[in-house]
Amino acid sequence: MADTEDAGASVSEPLDLVRLSLDEIVFVKLRGDRELKGRLHAYDSHCNLVLGDVEETIYVVEEDENEEEVTRTIKKQEEMLFVRGDSVVLISPQA
Amino acid sequence: MSFFGFDTNLPRDRDRGPAASRGFFENPDPFADIARATAVEDDGIDFEDTYDGLGDQLDDDQDAFNDDTFGGGGNAGAGAGAGTSVGRDFDFFGRTAEVSNAIDEEQMRYALQNPQAARAPPAAPQETYVPAQHAAEPTIKRTGYEKYSDPGYIPDLQAKSSVWGIAQEKREPSPAMIPTMPAASRKMMSLEEVEAQMRNRGQAFGPETTQSIPQTMPDMSFPRHPQGLPMLPDGFPANIPPEILRAHLEKGGLPPHLAHMADPRAMYGSPGPMMPGQPLQQFDQNNRPPRDLPSQDPRHAGPPPVQRQHVPPPPSRGPNGGLPVITNTEQLIHLTEEQRNAYLMEDAKRAKRNHKIFLLSRGNGLMTPQDKNFITRIQLQQLVAAAGNVVDADPEAVLAEDFYYQVYSQIRGAPRQHPHQPLGHFAQTYLLQTGNRISGHGNRRAFHSADNHMQRMQQQVQRAVEAAKAKPKNKQLIIEGSLGKISFSNAKAPKHMLNIKRPDSSEGIRPKKVQSNLSIGDRKSLLGNIEAVYNALMSMEDMERTMPPPPEEGDTEAIQEHLEWRQKVQSLNQKLWQALKVMEPIVPNSTTPHPFIAFLSYPKGKKAIPRIFRHIDQEQRVTILTMIVVHLDTLDVVHLAQASGPNDSQLPVAVREAIDLFSLAVMPSLLGYVNEAAFNIIIGLLGLVIAQTQVLAVARTKIGLGILTMLLSRAEIIKEAGQASERDWQQWVEKFNVLFDMLEPSLVHIFPGSINSGDDMYVWQFLAAVGIGASPEQQQRLVIAVKDRVMETVSYSKSLPADMSSQRLGNVNLFMRAIGLDVDLLG
Repeated sequence: MADTEDAGASVSEPLDLVRLSLDEIVFVKLRGDRELKGRLHAYDSHCNLVLGDVEETIYVVEEDENEEEVTRTIKKQEEMLFVRGDSVVLISPQA
Repeated sequence: MSFFGFDTNLPRDRDRGPAASRGFFENPDPFADIARATAVEDDGIDFEDTYDGLGDQLDDDQDAFNDDTFGGGGNAGAGAGAGTSVGRDFDFFGRTAEVSNAIDEEQMRYALQNPQAARAPPAAPQETYVPAQHAAEPTIKRTGYEKYSDPGYIPDLQAKSSVWGIAQEKREPSPAMIPTMPAASRKMMSLEEVEAQMRNRGQAFGPETTQSIPQTMPDMSFPRHPQGLPMLPDGFPANIPPEILRAHLEKGGLPPHLAHMADPRAMYGSPGPMMPGQPLQQFDQNNRPPRDLPSQDPRHAGPPPVQRQHVPPPPSRGPNGGLPVITNTEQLIHLTEEQRNAYLMEDAKRAKRNHKIFLLSRGNGLMTPQDKNFITRIQLQQLVAAAGNVVDADPEAVLAEDFYYQVYSQIRGAPRQHPHQPLGHFAQTYLLQTGNRISGHGNRRAFHSADNHMQRMQQQVQRAVEAAKAKPKNKQLIIEGSLGKISFSNAKAPKHMLNIKRPDSSEGIRPKKVQSNLSIGDRKSLLGNIEAVYNALMSMEDMERTMPPPPEEGDTEAIQEHLEWRQKVQSLNQKLWQALKVMEPIVPNSTTPHPFIAFLSYPKGKKAIPRIFRHIDQEQRVTILTMIVVHLDTLDVVHLAQASGPNDSQLPVAVREAIDLFSLAVMPSLLGYVNEAAFNIIIGLLGLVIAQTQVLAVARTKIGLGILTMLLSRAEIIKEAGQASERDWQQWVEKFNVLFDMLEPSLVHIFPGSINSGDDMYVWQFLAAVGIGASPEQQQRLVIAVKDRVMETVSYSKSLPADMSSQRLGNVNLFMRAIGLDVDLLG
């Protein structure tokens, strides 16, 4: 249990930083060119996440007729999402 | 016989001829021939010379007897005596193959002459191989080796018995059966004679001397039976058909030679020629069922001999009951009809049981003892792992680990109510039960061994549990001088791959945080504050669960316990209070909001309020309420919710959500406190609103109006209840008048957006609260101020569906009734 004597200093390990973002909007970068933005409901030591009101962005690189690479984005909206931790690259508080 | 196998007889003593009719073992050692060869030249040679010069004295020309000895290259010219000797010693097949034709003829002739004697003996070896079913068939059916179909092979088999002749004589001295043997006659025997001799031996187990037997002997041994038995063809009357046997039985007697063979003693006789005895018994058993028990399982009626041998011998106890044990056919004859039937019934039962055993035993041998040991070891390990864990785990952990089992067993009226009860007992119970189950089958023969096995297993478990208890508690073993550590692990507590020492959170390893009010605006520290609040909240809620029962009078220990618990709760409460930072000094005109207000600006901060209010006392609650009221215009739900204009009704989604959350989470807690607050507190709060906040801004928000409504209605209730003192009331009226004067010009603007924006109930509630408390003159002004809105709403509601219309009108009526009017009056 984190220290409560001097509140605000309850960060003793990296995931405690994630804890600060509980119930906040976070930005999550995933493997496979995906990004999520949503409210962090829960997480665990494997970085498994439960996100609410998530907007998922998928970046797809395609070649157009001129053989130039064009990045296309696909956006999806999810009400609730469970993210398996092994795909999480970064978690950032969305200030 | 000499030690080295030399013939120590003097030459004169041994010139009886090399052969005679001695058994194989009585023959001089084959090597003695060599010695003899030399002895011919030098009579009286002494042992030493023979021994030393043996190799040199070997003469290649003197190997004349080698063929005799080793059965090589048909020594046709050898004397008849030598031939006899050879034929009885070695290479039966080779020798007899040469003379098979002659043998055939002789045998045929002999059989014709003497069918009685010829029949039984050959039957002996034959019975062993031929199924009894086929016994009645006149043609010979062979199951195995094709060579045996050659009748000429029989003498070979017979010759074998002669090989054992001497041993036989010693073991079976049954003088009664021995006819007076003529003294050793040295006359040469024809092949026929030899054959007859062999047959006699086979029949009578004649304790033969090494001498030949007179030709008359067969007749002496086996008196001919007058009732002529059918002639068996091919000179090979191997099988006695059951009919014939039965016929003999019915007549009340067996031929003597058969009776002799049925003699129990025969069963334990010498191995070779003894065969006749055994097969006869088999024969007896095999033949009865098909005749007398036709309903019996055909598989067992006449099982092939091989299968037959797998069936365990019928137990001598039990099933026979009072019936005598039948070991031979003679006994069966003497039984009464009833007894015989009973016996046959028993036999059927036995056969049935054997069949059952056979079916059950199909899985036998699937697991080797090693397999069984392996399984046992795994089971033991699991038992020990479970038991071992209980030994050193505290009950809490057990409960946590085994939660659902504990709950389930409590529901089911557990055999193991107590998690502390060592699992060793559990294991023992389990094992005992299993043992009982096995032994419950009764006094089977397997019982003993199974019981032993279970006992051994129990002992093993006990030892293993002891060992687990004795095992050191620490999870690691560091062998002296080694670099690594060996960690013990089991299924429940897997090996730690990493062993990171986590800094004790109460120890000051972390750098002491700088004074928190310096980082008031820091979002991260604010979030940290919130987490600290939640930590404190959770530990307080945990404390609540572990609250000891209220102490009884005089129970000092319980009182002490309770006091300690109260102290802990108190300290946690202080933690929570500090984390909330409600008491941080208020910095006037600060650009950064007060930490507590910042706390409330986060959704999770708002959500925490109801939980916090459960754990704090009234003083702390009023402090929080005061804090909120003082900073009313800086609350996010107030200062972000300022409608920029009457037509700009739509607030951002996030703000609306925040307002909703505040209304749902914070307001009920505040209202719960205000509804019990003393009047002076209400007056003080209203004074704070007027003095410290921008009332107009507050009034243009839902939350602000909600709090004002809360205060006004509480004051009205206090007045109605007559609890307000005159002086307090005067104070209140003063404050109220100030507020009314401040609000009156902008009463139109407190309505959110346009008329059709919907949710304006809270405004009408506020107006109603104001109207109740207002003086008649104030009420007049109030009506004038909001008259337009009232008329608009009434006319607008006429265009709405009935339910929405009545809702809107109802809202308006809240206010109208407060000042003694009704929308119906407006028509």
